[in-house]
Amino acid sequence: MAADAGAPVGIRLEGVSAQFRHRVKGLVYAARDVTLAIAPGELLTLLGPSGCGKTTTLRMIAGFQEPSAGRILIGERDVTRVMASDRDIGFVFQSYALFPHLSIFENVAYGLRVRKEAAAGIARRVGAVLDLVGLAGYERQLPSQLSGGEQQRVALARAIVIRPRVLLFDEPLSNLDAKLRVQMRSEIRELQKRLGITAVYVTHDQEEAMAISDRIAVMSRGEIVQLGDAETLYRRPASTFVAEFIGRSNLLAATVESVAPGAVGVSVAGARLLLEAPGDGLGQGMAVRLVVRPEAVTLAAERPGALAATVRGRTYLGEKVEYELETAGGRLQAVIFDPPEGGTFPPGCRVAVQLPTRGLQILPETAS
Amino acid sequence: MPAAARRTVRDPALAIAAAVVAALLAFFVLYPLVALLARVFLADGQLGIGLLLEVLGQPGHRAAFANSLLLATLVGVTGTALGFLFAFTAARAGLTVAWARFLDVATLLPLISPPFTTSISLIFSFGPRGLITHDLLGLKGVTIYGLSGTLAAETLTYFPIAYLTLRPVLSAMGNTLDEMAMSLGGSRRHLFRTVTLPLAVPGLANAFLLLFAASLADFATPLILAGNRFPVLPTEAYLQITGLFDLQGGAVLSFALLVPAVAVFLLQRYWVGRRQYVTVTGKAGPEGTAKGVSPAARAVLVALCLLVAAFILYLYALLIWASVVAAFGANHAFTLDHYRVIFTEGRKAIGDTLVIALLGMPLGGLYGVLVGYIVARGRFAGRQLLELAAMINYALPGTIVGIAYLIAFNDPPVALTGTALIIVACYVFRYSPTGIRATIAQLHQIDRSLEEASESLGAKGGTTFRRIVMPLILPAFFAGLGVVFIRSMTAISATIFLVSIDWTLITVRILENMTELALGPAAAFSVFVIVVVMVVTGLVNALLRRLRAGQEMPVAGMGGG
Repeated sequence: MAADAGAPVGIRLEGVSAQFRHRVKGLVYAARDVTLAIAPGELLTLLGPSGCGKTTTLRMIAGFQEPSAGRILIGERDVTRVMASDRDIGFVFQSYALFPHLSIFENVAYGLRVRKEAAAGIARRVGAVLDLVGLAGYERQLPSQLSGGEQQRVALARAIVIRPRVLLFDEPLSNLDAKLRVQMRSEIRELQKRLGITAVYVTHDQEEAMAISDRIAVMSRGEIVQLGDAETLYRRPASTFVAEFIGRSNLLAATVESVAPGAVGVSVAGARLLLEAPGDGLGQGMAVRLVVRPEAVTLAAERPGALAATVRGRTYLGEKVEYELETAGGRLQAVIFDPPEGGTFPPGCRVAVQLPTRGLQILPETAS
Repeated sequence: MPAAARRTVRDPALAIAAAVVAALLAFFVLYPLVALLARVFLADGQLGIGLLLEVLGQPGHRAAFANSLLLATLVGVTGTALGFLFAFTAARAGLTVAWARFLDVATLLPLISPPFTTSISLIFSFGPRGLITHDLLGLKGVTIYGLSGTLAAETLTYFPIAYLTLRPVLSAMGNTLDEMAMSLGGSRRHLFRTVTLPLAVPGLANAFLLLFAASLADFATPLILAGNRFPVLPTEAYLQITGLFDLQGGAVLSFALLVPAVAVFLLQRYWVGRRQYVTVTGKAGPEGTAKGVSPAARAVLVALCLLVAAFILYLYALLIWASVVAAFGANHAFTLDHYRVIFTEGRKAIGDTLVIALLGMPLGGLYGVLVGYIVARGRFAGRQLLELAAMINYALPGTIVGIAYLIAFNDPPVALTGTALIIVACYVFRYSPTGIRATIAQLHQIDRSLEEASESLGAKGGTTFRRIVMPLILPAFFAGLGVVFIRSMTAISATIFLVSIDWTLITVRILENMTELALGPAAAFSVFVIVVVMVVTGLVNALLRRLRAGQEMPVAGMGGG
């Protein structure tokens, strides 16, 4: 076995900020007051659009960048002022960053040579780890002779062969094609679980994040806006930003009509609904947004009292049909899976939109 | 990502390297310059311009100042014109590969020769007993010495700089542009006037300023050819010091040279240098289909270029011939005596020069790579200042640098004049900027994540530099090293002030031979230097090709002695 790092360690970020001076805007935060505890052996993903501070945060954990405030701990060790070379990390870069003048063997052996390991041990461990990533026999090739996927495997091998306490991934799959991305992400996930190394993974791809992570920290404008597992983020987004960033969602404007324990009455574009929801922090007359996933919507023939809509667009995709609907409260997307033959609604048709009464997330209008 | 956000946890290796480089620059660049200025502006502990006015008040010195500017302007104009002729012909006349190569060789020769090679050959050809003037035309009492001779020699020596500056500009414009303009109904002459020339204006200005600076700094040519009739500043400063033992006067004269030199440097670097219209299309235009030049014009252009190129080769042939005849102009019997002389009596100069060049070569290469790395990758305030300081000795005429070194390192506590160290230091700090530039350019093409990857794998800054950065910028290292070696073999303007009985240089011996009218040994020395330089240039270029660097040694930045 190539890597056996001993007991996995946790990572803690305490109020970590990265501030820099922008020529026009003055002092700007690339990351602001990020506090995060990553459990030993966990794979946590930092997810967000470009410029949200996820890469900056990762680079501060790696030690490539110094925080302007806050502390970073790996295990129980405060590494805030420790150089990257002394942090005992493995880093996988978006660009792979393989050393172009060194063979695959020497690329992977680099960290061991820096540590002045014995030659026999190096040969054995490099061989084992190349085996592990399925690249046995590539030892003497140069990085330029390998495909993108193979290069990323070398980068992975190079990072894990030194048995780091922490593995850090900076959008490692974004240079690969879609099919290879799916394959590589499950390989990375499997390897990380097998080695039991605590990992932080950065991506802007929400599907990749959901597929690979134990937990996801969604970031926006340098701050963590929500932290949770994939289902929590999808089902219970804490803000409209998260709701729209994770999966597709309709944000229907609604008004709270009544609040009772376990039941919230709302009106949506003239239609009334009684939802099973805790109702915490909601009050009568409050403007809210209902987070309605397209696949949660069902359509039926038009009838009085229901939320009425007009079909504006229909895309038949075999296993599902996608609708673009227009209601008095705005546009609405709906996806119906396994549509019955001949049972779809043509454009121009008036339909009744049925929303589920349970599992809908209600967000106060202010939570952007 | 903004650069400032990339602040890294401090690695002491880079900081230490930067501190060492800064200290070296302070000691070998700034301190001599300050010492020079102090000598000019401090009289009896009083700050003032009295001395400056006194020295420049003398009519002879004022004339030297005016002569220097006049000569530089003329060399700038004629050299740029000649360079444009060559560049235009090479880019547009559809030359065959062999003829293009011929032009390249003819223009490369003056660049890699000792600075006064052309002067010596011109004397052989047009001097009092010159091959053409005396033997062929039978003229008596002709003199090559003075403005016209100096101008001719400097133009032939420095026009390749203009050629190398202008050729990419003209090639980049491409024939496509010509064809387009002609398809719009423009005549060839109209095309040249309205499209080609205006687009080339920044390039022409750039070439003019480079030649102006090169001529202003040239010491060897006027020393041989200008004579008493046409004194210029570098030679006046030299004679003031070596002839009249007036270090202070020499310092003041070199300061007078400094003002126009700095002005031209700043103008070239920060104004013209940024105004180049490079019409990059990403696609190389088809060559050889030159429609912008009429057949007659093409014939004239090619003929002119070949004439000039042939003349340059003739001068070099003359040099070789003069080195193997008993007494040029009088006795043309074949002899290897002159070579015997330079390898016996001249052995010390050859040995010293090679030792100094071989010492300076690795030091200069390493220094260039180190400074380039610090400038390109450092994240501390003041690295631009560091880069500027590293450029100073390169930009200044050698006479100034030499006199500054003489003033700064002549007396205790740092009495270094007369040692090999001071000559090596002079070369390293004066000729490394080529390597620095090449390193910076190469580092801009290397993703920073390679260094971060090395760091994350546990390597400290020093290890990363040695095992990752250095192998990747090896071409820049060799290019820089080659330039330092070549300049160490051929330079004279600064180091003529620094040689001693213990350490002398071939170039200085050539000059002595010239003044003693020992033309044969002078020619033999020159041939020897050219051969060594060509061999080293060839080796470095072969090495660069093996490294698949796709670049040649940047000789364009080598003008000036």
